[in-house]
Amino acid sequence: MNVDALMTYITSTPLTWIIITMSAYKVGILIYEKTGKHALLQPIVIAYVIMLPILIIAHIPYKQYFESVSILHFFLGPATVALALPLYKNLKLIHAYLLPIFITLFAGGIFTILSAVGILWLLGASKITMLSMTTKSVTAPITLITAHDIGANASLAIGFVVITGLLGALLGTSVFKLLKIKHDAAKGFALGLISHAVGTARAFEISENAAAFSALAMGLVGVFIAVFLPIVMGLL
Amino acid sequence: MLHGILTLLLFQFTGECISKLFELKIPGPIIGMVLLLLFLVIRKGSFHALDNAVFWLLRYLPLFIIPAAAGIITQVETISNELFAILASLIVGTFLSLAFSVKLMDMLISKKEER
Repeated sequence: MNVDALMTYITSTPLTWIIITMSAYKVGILIYEKTGKHALLQPIVIAYVIMLPILIIAHIPYKQYFESVSILHFFLGPATVALALPLYKNLKLIHAYLLPIFITLFAGGIFTILSAVGILWLLGASKITMLSMTTKSVTAPITLITAHDIGANASLAIGFVVITGLLGALLGTSVFKLLKIKHDAAKGFALGLISHAVGTARAFEISENAAAFSALAMGLVGVFIAVFLPIVMGLL
Repeated sequence: MLHGILTLLLFQFTGECISKLFELKIPGPIIGMVLLLLFLVIRKGSFHALDNAVFWLLRYLPLFIIPAAAGIITQVETISNELFAILASLIVGTFLSLAFSVKLMDMLISKKEER
């Protein structure tokens, strides 16, 4: 038996980290489904809770981990292109409420960025934190492919995206009650606009119509911010 | 499904090429997404292999995010230094923007339906 050869293999093959990462996600899905798909127990949140201690204990440099699992990261590109299909399927909703949709998209999208970055600026946060906060309401794959172009830190930006998703799903119902919101279309659209896929999962609990508007908002705001932010950053 | 995956990769590739060629600030996959959307509008519908590929990719989306998300361990210093500002921005910012967006849209829809 050659234990050294075995250990060298285990610590050097990308398989080790791919298996650990996929297992963490699988556990995330199992817990999410066992708890009746609780909006706050998203598989990605559970995967965070499992992966981070393992990476810290294993003492692996992040760069080495990322290179091992880069095959998973690769799929973000095609997944972003894939978002065109749900957007296409919900595109017909635009006809019914053309102006409300586009006014809310532009005003809400810009308000989201300015309010979050404004609070950071008032409280003296660093530039990298402010840049990473700009994409907090955008669905994660679009955040990741945009982060580099706007000079944000991709990992910080993703953390903010995940937390914003959870907060939107958590606050949604009480905000709608407080403001006496009448239309499901508005509830769904706001959830998708602010809290991307997590908001859409939450909108499914309101109604099918709310979920469709949420998916539409998520797609539109993703494109809007990915096009608008790099251009604005280029002008600054 | 192969045909579907290939379609997505071709649109991504075209998007990246356009972004590079015209020195656009817009990320390539976003251009690819808009092109695929136009393609579907012109074609008036999707096809089975594309539906399958999209379903598969979007289903496992959170898995594809983990490699980048795990990099948060390199940002512990930034987060602990600015914890209060970050939490305030996330909580207050999300509350305000959710309230602003939903009220705006609700009012606009009511106004439209009054007419």
